[in-house]
Amino acid sequence: MIAARRWRRQGMVWLLLAPSLAIFFLYRIVPLGWNAVLSVQKWSPLRPAEFAGLYHYEEMFFHDDVFWTSLKNTLVYMASAPIGIALALALALLVNAGIRGRTVYRAIIFASYPLMTVAVGIIWRWLYDEKLGLINYALIRLGVIDKGIAFLDSFIWAMPAVIAAAIWQIVGFFMIVLLAGLQGIPPNLHEAAAIDGAGPLQRFLSITVPLLRPSLFLCLVLGIINSFTSFDLIYVMTRGGPNYATELLITYIYRAAFVLSQLDYAAALTVVLFLLLLGVTWAANRASGGEAGAVEAAE
Amino acid sequence: MRRGPTWPIHLALLAVSAVMLMPLYWVFRTSVTGDNIFAYPPALLPRHAHLYYFVDVWYYVPFARFLVNSAVVSLIAVASNVVLNAMAGYALTLEFRAKRAVVLLLLSCMMIPFQATIIPAYLITKELRLLNTHLGLALPLCSTIVCIFVFKAAFDAVPRSLIDAARLDGLGDLGILARIMLPLSTAAVATNVVLAFIWSWNNFLWPLIVVRNQEMQTLPLALSTFLSYLENTTGALYAFCIMALIPGLVVFVLAQKQFVEGLTAGATKG
Repeated sequence: MIAARRWRRQGMVWLLLAPSLAIFFLYRIVPLGWNAVLSVQKWSPLRPAEFAGLYHYEEMFFHDDVFWTSLKNTLVYMASAPIGIALALALALLVNAGIRGRTVYRAIIFASYPLMTVAVGIIWRWLYDEKLGLINYALIRLGVIDKGIAFLDSFIWAMPAVIAAAIWQIVGFFMIVLLAGLQGIPPNLHEAAAIDGAGPLQRFLSITVPLLRPSLFLCLVLGIINSFTSFDLIYVMTRGGPNYATELLITYIYRAAFVLSQLDYAAALTVVLFLLLLGVTWAANRASGGEAGAVEAAE
Repeated sequence: MRRGPTWPIHLALLAVSAVMLMPLYWVFRTSVTGDNIFAYPPALLPRHAHLYYFVDVWYYVPFARFLVNSAVVSLIAVASNVVLNAMAGYALTLEFRAKRAVVLLLLSCMMIPFQATIIPAYLITKELRLLNTHLGLALPLCSTIVCIFVFKAAFDAVPRSLIDAARLDGLGDLGILARIMLPLSTAAVATNVVLAFIWSWNNFLWPLIVVRNQEMQTLPLALSTFLSYLENTTGALYAFCIMALIPGLVVFVLAQKQFVEGLTAGATKG
């Protein structure tokens, strides 16, 4: 009797979990394995699969300049994460300074994060436009430059321009995470330090920063993930151009798979992307002493 | 604690706010005037504002169709997120064998970004014959791990005695979930609704892969297509942007609190 009831409860638990687990199985776990399998095959939808060993990897590492370019660009994009985080930290400190209207400032700065990235990309594309863009207009009027710069068509400027737009969109999110961290710091620590004669800078360096470490590292990890998954903005603003100057691994994977129809090769690229992402987040986590916890909010 | 004048802080924050709002304002201004920089001198306030471009978009492309597609996909995603995540979150508050393994599995699945699954996800969806369907567009978004944990945390906070009493009164697990847990966790439900809506509404990469014809395009996809063949229709393009942005903005303004809570809960709780 009791045993039967226990079994029914166990069955109930699995029934409740089943739909979610099925979705994760189908769209997370199976794809992981399938990618790995596909990456060591020669396959296209019209051709039977054929074992190819490390053929694609050899192709990638030794004969594919676009792969190396997109890898380099992904790392540059990733290296820009600390800039966004530093800005977000400054904003969080300002918003947290006990001023009036803080909720309004917070909402305005955060509002760009939930916006549709495709629309954000279109807007920024136009702000950067050589002739019609607001940015060139402002720079010319301020006397910084004499004639417009075609930012997104420029080999030098395209990447910084895209990164600036990306920071514009994500800085509010970092700020929110850091604000949550700041609010967890007991105010009496600051008061005690002030009584002991510590100046604002010293208090910032020896109280705020150490206690904010988990939030800062969390932002860093999320920034890293973001650099491996930022597709929409690049696709709309530059399509990876000019001449691959803004091609990231993820945009290259999309192009290889769904424009050039090389799904097997794209699978190998994906395996590299995933391993790289795991490696970098693991390193970041280790550097933080495991404080960033499991990588959450990875969507 | 604070000493000294606050105006420098306000000044800095006002400047940042201007940078954050200017692009949006500029788009709005152009969508109601069609003026570019070349309307000389460029006016900050729109003159002769009109809504012709919005009407243009509505008739020039099947905007209503795109809106319906986006709405249907978001509706499927939101509804199944609330139901499935609540079920899974409730299951995680119960004791069962392999619970640790399930939690570990969920946490590791979080490490697999959707972008790293697109090729097999496309092949799987093709095998399921769901390419080019609303369900196929929504399916990968139908349950979210962060939100499962948001529900679990909310359910853990429900007093034990209440659940025991309900059980004594003969309520089963589903009854407890539907009649006790969910009504007491409205904040978690709201968080789920808002996050699932924003994610599905803004989703672009997956529709780009799955959608094969214009009839099935969602708004972000339609917007990017519009950009690629109508590069210089300034006013209409930005009117389209505004029309695609408005629902997300409305949800954000109405439910900012839940949105922030969901993100920071997902981000800070281990």
